[in-house]
Amino acid sequence: MITVQNVHKWFGDLHVLKGVSLQVNKGDALVVIGPSGSGKSTLLRCINLLVQPDEGDVIIDGVKVNDPRIRPEWVRQQVGMVFQSFNLFTHLNALENVMIGLRKVKRMDRAGAEQMARFELERVGLADKADAYPAQLSGGQQQRVAIARALALNPKAVLFDEPTSALDPEFIREVLDVMTKLAEEGMTMVVVTHEMGFAHNVADRVLFMADGVVVEEGTPDEVFDRPQKERTQAFVGKILG
Amino acid sequence: MGLKAAAKEIWTRLEDRPVLRSAIAIGGLLGLGLALVLGLAAVGIVSLRFLADNATFLAVPALTSLSATLLSFAIGFAGAIPMGLVRAFAPRILRGEGWRRAAFAPLYGAVTSYVEAIRGTPAFVQIFLVAQVSGLIFPGNPNIPFWGGTLALTINTLGYQTEVFRAGFQSVGQSQVEAAKSIGMRPVQVFLHITLPQGLRLITLPLVNEWVGLFKASALLAYVAVPELLWAASYLGNNRSHPIEAFIMVSSVYLAIIVPLSKAVGWWERKHRIPGLGVAERTVGVGRRRAVVAAGTPAGGLD
Ligand SMILES: Nc1ncnc2c1ncn2[C@@H]1O[C@H](COP(=O)(O)OP(=O)(O)O)[C@@H](O)[C@H]1O
Ligand SMILES: [Mg+2]
Repeated sequence: MITVQNVHKWFGDLHVLKGVSLQVNKGDALVVIGPSGSGKSTLLRCINLLVQPDEGDVIIDGVKVNDPRIRPEWVRQQVGMVFQSFNLFTHLNALENVMIGLRKVKRMDRAGAEQMARFELERVGLADKADAYPAQLSGGQQQRVAIARALALNPKAVLFDEPTSALDPEFIREVLDVMTKLAEEGMTMVVVTHEMGFAHNVADRVLFMADGVVVEEGTPDEVFDRPQKERTQAFVGKILG
Repeated sequence: MGLKAAAKEIWTRLEDRPVLRSAIAIGGLLGLGLALVLGLAAVGIVSLRFLADNATFLAVPALTSLSATLLSFAIGFAGAIPMGLVRAFAPRILRGEGWRRAAFAPLYGAVTSYVEAIRGTPAFVQIFLVAQVSGLIFPGNPNIPFWGGTLALTINTLGYQTEVFRAGFQSVGQSQVEAAKSIGMRPVQVFLHITLPQGLRLITLPLVNEWVGLFKASALLAYVAVPELLWAASYLGNNRSHPIEAFIMVSSVYLAIIVPLSKAVGWWERKHRIPGLGVAERTVGVGRRRAVVAAGTPAGGLD
């Protein structure tokens, strides 16, 4: 479903991704871990072309998407994204946040878009918050609306960039529950997170990144319980406390 | 309880009745003005008779002032959106390379010089210059003072509104733009559906200020023979030897237009306020504070 081949990215002189490759099969969840600044966010952004890779290929559902002939807007409809700080549109209420992509990008009529948006809010358990503005919602509720907004466009895969690390502890559970349900329903996901419980239960594969390279990859058991590389052992030891 | 304390008590109780509060404030102001005029009349400085006789004299000049202001403000508004965009976002393009940079460098330079030229010279000088030039191009045309004056005001407000829009566009967070891109919006859609509506919310107050400033600056058109409010008041004062009355009248007209307008916009803004965006709530804004904290969370997180 998603293949990343030998991707490099420079920001000026800073070599952020140094030949990253990965593969996510349809319906699988890949969890990416790694220290701050190792290039995890940049990697996700390369997949939906918010960042243009300098070298290498990103292939989604058999289509090489980092190609001048492919519109990045089209790619971003195929691959949804959920941000660390939610990034809900502050001037729109929850329902409008979910609707706007359907209306403006998918060009649906108002009634159809509204019906679908309400359905998506229902799926994340927020049917009763349709009229609330982002500032009136808790962090956990905002992030669930953000997930509904991404899902409304019916993407083939969803990227999550540390979706719970800006949340107060009491709101983490509700967001992880929504994500777990999504994985069980067969959504293809790439999740940057350090929630070990989630990674253990949900991930099909775990990938450890450091300094812009993939250090180690394997099943959750392999990476967390029997890491082969020294750097992985040190990092996993730290996050497992 | 003393009178002062009682008044203060009532004022506090009206905390969440902003319309009533404004009405009382305006009423008080009117009363004071009226008392002042009556006082001046009592000692023979002001003639009430003259005020009554010429009460409607300023109606048409007021329309002239309003037309010049509304027209130039609207045209300036339309022009300031693209120019504000250039001011706000060209610097980022200029940091890149390629044809975009080559195309935007002169554009950015031109818009910036324009803004600096307008902000760095007196409005009066700008008006005089435009009036002289348009008089030269269309000699003897009786409509030229008005259109030349309106053009001068347009040129002036375009410069100021460009900067208002620049600030508005720049204060829309990059994360909002990124979220819009991530759901597949094209750059034009991001601008129309995210940056513009959010930016407008943030600049309502500065835009009203600009309108009020422009309306007052339109008085300068009196000096290039536009028959607007100040021109009419001078005429009235000089020709009929009642300058004080004339200037009391013209001040009242300006006040009668400006105060209700800014009150009405403030009221509209509060009525349609979106929590966490633009004007603050009158009471303590818990939701607002939360939104700011959320948006300010640094990337990277816990590692
Ligand atoms: N747009 C950008 N411009 C310049 N440097 C960037 C940009 N985005 C990320 N970086 C840098 O790239 C490195 C990797 O960042 P990031 O991908 O956010 O890492 P992570 O998500 O793993 O913490 C960091 O040093 C960061 O400062
Ligand atoms: Mg990151």
